[in-house]
Amino acid sequence: MTALLQILFDALSLGSLYALGALGIALIFGVMRLVNFAHGDYIAFCVFALLWPSIDAAAIVFAGNLPTIILIPLILAIGAGLSVLSEILVFRRFRNANPATMMIASFALGYVLKNFLLMLFSSRPKSIDLWSNLSQQVEIAGARIPLLQVITITITIVILIALTAFLKRTRFGLEMRAAAENFTMARMLGVKANRVIMLAFAISGMLAAAIGLILATQTGTVDIQMGMSVMLVAFIATVIGGLGSLPGAVIAGFLIGGASVLMQVILPLEARPFRDAFVYGAVIACLIWRPQGLFAPKSAKQRV
Amino acid sequence: MSRLKALGLATVFGALISGPALADDIVVGFATAESGFMQAYDKPAQDAALIRIDEINKAGGLLGRQIKVVTADTKTDRAEGAKAGLEVLDKGAELVIVSCDYDFGAPAALAAEAAGKVSFFLCAESIKAGIPGVGPHSFSSSVLAAVQGATMAQWAYTKKNARKFYRLLDTWTVYNKGICDGFDWQLPKLEGAELVGSDTFKNEDASIASQISRIKALPQEPDAIMLCTMMPGAVSAIKQIRAAGIKAPILNGSGVDGSYWLSAVPDLSNFFVPAQGSIYGDDPNPKVNEFNKKYKEVTGGDPSSQYVYPGYVLIDVWSKAVERAKSLDADAVVAELEKMKDEPTLFGPRTFTSEIHHQNKGRYLIIETTNGKPAVVDEWTISEAIPVADLLKQ
Amino acid sequence: MAQRSSLLARTISTLIILILILVAIAVVTKLAGSRPFERTVVEMFIRVMLVVGIYIFVGNSGVISFGHMGFMCIGAYAAAWFTIPAVMKQVSLPGLPNFLINTQLPIFLSAFLAGLLAALFALIVGRILMRLSGIAASIATFAMLAVINVVYSNWDSVTGGTGSIVGIPFYTGIWTALGGAILVVIIAYLYQISRSGLALRAGRDEATAAAASGVNIVRERLIAFVISAFVIGVAGALYGHFLGVVNPDAFYLSVTFITLSMLVVGGMNSLSGAVMGVIVISAIIQLLRWLEKGVDLGGTTLAIPNGLQEITIGLVMIIILMFRPSGLTRNREITWRLKGAGKPSE
Repeated sequence: MTALLQILFDALSLGSLYALGALGIALIFGVMRLVNFAHGDYIAFCVFALLWPSIDAAAIVFAGNLPTIILIPLILAIGAGLSVLSEILVFRRFRNANPATMMIASFALGYVLKNFLLMLFSSRPKSIDLWSNLSQQVEIAGARIPLLQVITITITIVILIALTAFLKRTRFGLEMRAAAENFTMARMLGVKANRVIMLAFAISGMLAAAIGLILATQTGTVDIQMGMSVMLVAFIATVIGGLGSLPGAVIAGFLIGGASVLMQVILPLEARPFRDAFVYGAVIACLIWRPQGLFAPKSAKQRV
Repeated sequence: MSRLKALGLATVFGALISGPALADDIVVGFATAESGFMQAYDKPAQDAALIRIDEINKAGGLLGRQIKVVTADTKTDRAEGAKAGLEVLDKGAELVIVSCDYDFGAPAALAAEAAGKVSFFLCAESIKAGIPGVGPHSFSSSVLAAVQGATMAQWAYTKKNARKFYRLLDTWTVYNKGICDGFDWQLPKLEGAELVGSDTFKNEDASIASQISRIKALPQEPDAIMLCTMMPGAVSAIKQIRAAGIKAPILNGSGVDGSYWLSAVPDLSNFFVPAQGSIYGDDPNPKVNEFNKKYKEVTGGDPSSQYVYPGYVLIDVWSKAVERAKSLDADAVVAELEKMKDEPTLFGPRTFTSEIHHQNKGRYLIIETTNGKPAVVDEWTISEAIPVADLLKQ
Repeated sequence: MAQRSSLLARTISTLIILILILVAIAVVTKLAGSRPFERTVVEMFIRVMLVVGIYIFVGNSGVISFGHMGFMCIGAYAAAWFTIPAVMKQVSLPGLPNFLINTQLPIFLSAFLAGLLAALFALIVGRILMRLSGIAASIATFAMLAVINVVYSNWDSVTGGTGSIVGIPFYTGIWTALGGAILVVIIAYLYQISRSGLALRAGRDEATAAAASGVNIVRERLIAFVISAFVIGVAGALYGHFLGVVNPDAFYLSVTFITLSMLVVGGMNSLSGAVMGVIVISAIIQLLRWLEKGVDLGGTTLAIPNGLQEITIGLVMIIILMFRPSGLTRNREITWRLKGAGKPSE
């Protein structure tokens, strides 16, 4: 029982990260059909914002030393700012381009960001001690769980609830949902496209920043590659969940996190290095079973 | 890099790198990463190599001739690596020094091999970095990863009375697997030692919660955890293991040497790393501490980890072999290198044979981190060398 | 038949021009006589094979594939299995079946078989994956790439794991690579004017109409998938013989993105776009690398800081796409006549 509970918590905490990532990607995809490959680099950028640029091995912590109450809004603002800036400078010019062109443009943008960080900070991973008192243990029904995991899961749930409320209850949210459902129609009905898209980018950037903060606290590491694996899984989760469906993306994020933890537990030692092959195999199976995703909105249907 | 450091480097090495090569100069070529991922790993060892070259030049040169350095950037790209190798060869390199990592260094080393020149890896720790993976003229001056795993196992068994071992492998690189392979080779030779569990993870895993749950599920905490991983995943793994309340000693490879990352795990204790020399100013050999000072003077910073040292060692052993061979002929130099048996260097003895151009046994300092402060606590050499056949099998 | 030959007559000039461009590059390189530069060009020709290989599937079907570098991985490793001397294989890859350990094939036979193996794999996987369309298909191909990468990175006794395997004979020089690139361009050309190619392009542009006219899109896609897998498998084999070491990491995300970028920047719906994308991007990269090394301007050396090359190439790609969203060739083919006359893409 305790063991099961432990697995559940492990799955939920990994799943939260993926869910937050998937949400960030799904938001943008919903409003402009853009698969934003730069999302992973936003995550890395936000984490590096904690440091002062230097290529020395030891990190020079800068923003990371600010009191929490200032630090969190600051990093979230950096994420949102970077994301909105990339929309204004780059993606706005691709409104009418086909998805492949937009995707490659986003990849190129991510490449630029990554190499920019590389120039400023060098490739050597840096270490940072962010809220290390969060790594102490709490006991829940016999399972011992780091406080951070509990917080991660809670934060994810809070963000999800807040976002749902925002989308359901506010005018912005209504516009955004309308845009995600059918962008052309929404525009005809008077939704201001640029405003909605910028807002989506801002929220997506904040989600990237939140992931960055969680990753930095959990791993104690600041690394150029750090957003990459979360971004890839999140991307897959977005598709499995049903492109354009925000709840679908979140649930799929949790599912992939759960599958990954479960494989680690049940696979025999010899097969464990192949864990991800099983996870990706499951992804393919899932796509074959439900090509439109688990929770496809009507607008996502292919014509044929 | 601060301007100051850049200035320091320029004054010392400026004369080495710029200016036309005189016909009489001996050319040493660096086909290493000046940009991209490997840059951070190649540069420190390369600086150390340049310090040794500078010392030799100031002492009158090699065979009475000055050493001249040429460089080419591999851009941390394998195909570019091969080109960089050709480039330094075209500039007349007698010795080609290649990237730290076997995978990234091999293309340039193969180019040198094809040209019949001696090549050295800056700090590769795979058995392939040498005869099996490049050819008879290729060497590495570091010590094999397997020796690190074997050293830690035997030392913990003998000095820490560890009997129940747990093995946690990060499957990302051959280096990681090498450490665990050495551990696996050593463990059955230790009477009464047993492996109570084994697990794997991936360096990029954001969370290793389920791996930790598995350790916690053991009836009792293991006496030591052999952690075969490297940066950046190592920090994350160590942080999470300690956060979960597991207090057992953690044994590692040299890849996690250095204090630059310790801020991420405040008050880390009971943490052991093998190192060829100490960067913490407490090396039993005072000459190492002198070298550290010199390195700081030249580059503006303390060595960040023990991976600075192999760069110094490689120029040291190569130049000695050249002096003894009285020639730059690759075969003659290789023959002299292969005669080296426990050749003393600043960072432990080096032995090369016609069978292996790497160290399958080596003296290691044991560095223990207590309350976030690393310090040398012991010195250990494994009692028998790991047989070449076993190394190749891995 | 008459239609077919007129199609051939209308479009053959594209093929001839592309081949002439490739040959011209090779000849100029040979005349320049620099070994490092020659290797740059060899790498570029291999990239031409890869990008045109991806084009055969992506350009004709309109489905973006993230998975094709998996075929490169399969091809390169197969070439390693077929050509490394038995003595070395016994030690480094003891898990290989005996007959493979004891075979050492000539390079061209081995490269052909490597392509076949990749094609066979594509046939099996494709039967499942080709049922998917759009972004779901893209993700499924990516999942396929990830599975291949995980398996090749961890099946130590057969692939050597994440470490490089060595001992693959060096062979691929400029003429072999040129030959490979020309061959692949011809294959791609013949496919796109074939019945299957035309049907697939019709399905790409007007799926409903094509299906109504009796085009079996799934089947045509599978054919394109298998052909492109063969081509990329062969390219992978030549890459192995070019570099002398094979490593699973070399066939994963970065090569996937760079090749896809080249295709899209060139113009993903035309063969000329695929070829020109590689040539233009490679040329810009090379130019920037020279700048990084420093250019001698009357005594003073002008150099851009290390690492700026990567940033610049990313920006250049964004700018090209901003002004030419359908790629440098605007998805048209290069022909004798200036205004794209033979444009089977549109």
